Amino acid sequence: MRIGVRRTGGFAGIERYAEVDTSGRPDASEWQALAEEAVAAGRGTPPIGVPDGFSYQITVDGKTVYCADPRLTEAQSKLISQVLTEGA
Amino acid sequence: MTQCDIAAMKATHPVFCTIVPPHVLDKLAQADDPALAGPARRTLEADAAQRTHRRLTTVLGAPPAAPPADAAGDKPHRTLYDAQHRQELPGVKVRGEGDEPGQDATVNRAYAGLGATFDLLLKAFGRRSVDGNGLPLVASVHYGENYGNAFWDGRQMVFGDGDEIFRDFTLPVDVIAHELAHGLTQYTANFTYFGQPGALNESVSDVFGSLVKQYVNDQTAEQADWLIGAGLLAERVTGVALRSMKAPGTAYDDDVLGKDPQPATMADYVRTGRDNGGVHINSGIPNRAFYLLATALGGKAWEGAGQIWYDTLTGGGLQVDASFTDFARATVAAAHARFGDGEEQEALLKAWSQVGVPTG
Repeated sequence: MRIGVRRTGGFAGIERYAEVDTSGRPDASEWQALAEEAVAAGRGTPPIGVPDGFSYQITVDGKTVYCADPRLTEAQSKLISQVLTEGA
Repeated sequence: MTQCDIAAMKATHPVFCTIVPPHVLDKLAQADDPALAGPARRTLEADAAQRTHRRLTTVLGAPPAAPPADAAGDKPHRTLYDAQHRQELPGVKVRGEGDEPGQDATVNRAYAGLGATFDLLLKAFGRRSVDGNGLPLVASVHYGENYGNAFWDGRQMVFGDGDEIFRDFTLPVDVIAHELAHGLTQYTANFTYFGQPGALNESVSDVFGSLVKQYVNDQTAEQADWLIGAGLLAERVTGVALRSMKAPGTAYDDDVLGKDPQPATMADYVRTGRDNGGVHINSGIPNRAFYLLATALGGKAWEGAGQIWYDTLTGGGLQVDASFTDFARATVAAAHARFGDGEEQEALLKAWSQVGVPTG
């Protein structure tokens, strides 16, 4: 499973992108469960953003959903943080 | 036949309906071919305007938070919350108005920053809080984990502690004031947060952010550094701040962060679908116009240039989708109304001309 996170906007207006390929990872099933939960709560179009707020685009195996601060679900928040920290 | 089909038949240019995914529109809006980029951009702008309008209607339609009974009207009413590294707002209340400073320097800085912004609005412009009606000021600090951002959510300010690139967002007072100024814009000109009106929204926040910093430090336009977010970049980052109003595009140039993308004039205007249509990028153009005016007039920037910007923002003469040109023309009218045909008028026309925004 390939999980990509694109973060745009923010006070600095600087974009970040990272992705994680879970195949072969010992924790692949945890990633998969988290990604599925995050995507299920995402939207097909970018939600209403707030001034200086981050916007996110989560892509899991080709399917893209959108979400934005400050209204992330716990799974979205965790997944975004993990991908941006551990991904390349 | 849908309304979109009818619109497409009537329109001279093709109309993209909302069935086209926004990320495709983003891509199209960046296309070199204006036949592709133009309509995509218009659709994105209309969509963003609609969404922002819906949100702001929701926010502004809500009953206003009641000011405390003992509010004299010329005193701020601040409440600070600690989000405790979670992403739920507002968090736990840690300091109310008039409470003594506690152990948490972040809370104390935010409290002082809100106070300084309230003070400038009142003393320089006679405005009681961001809504002109004593609106209580609410901020949450320690938001999220490893969170390198600050934002205005339509009701309150939110500050993260930073990440590997940025330090605590309450460190620069201009960043605190920038967020609060988004509230000022929301209650006045209410510029749509996309494209040129979005860049105006951002620029107004930088202008008032910088003015608050200059007010706190009692600096003249010549003494000010005109930087936004000085002291915010982590030590490993090569740069002085996040933005420079004096020299847009020169604030940082770093291996990880890249180079400051801000243009200083319309000739270098950046067309993009990202960052809400480049709101934090093209704000460099009106930012520099303000800097040029303030330094041409000299003295305390909030007295001349700041007054003209404040009059423009609060004058009611601008649409929510105002362009740079609309804004520039409104500043000229505001300067005329306030100062007549004096040096302000001349310096203002020159400033806009230098950044390539027409006023005629």
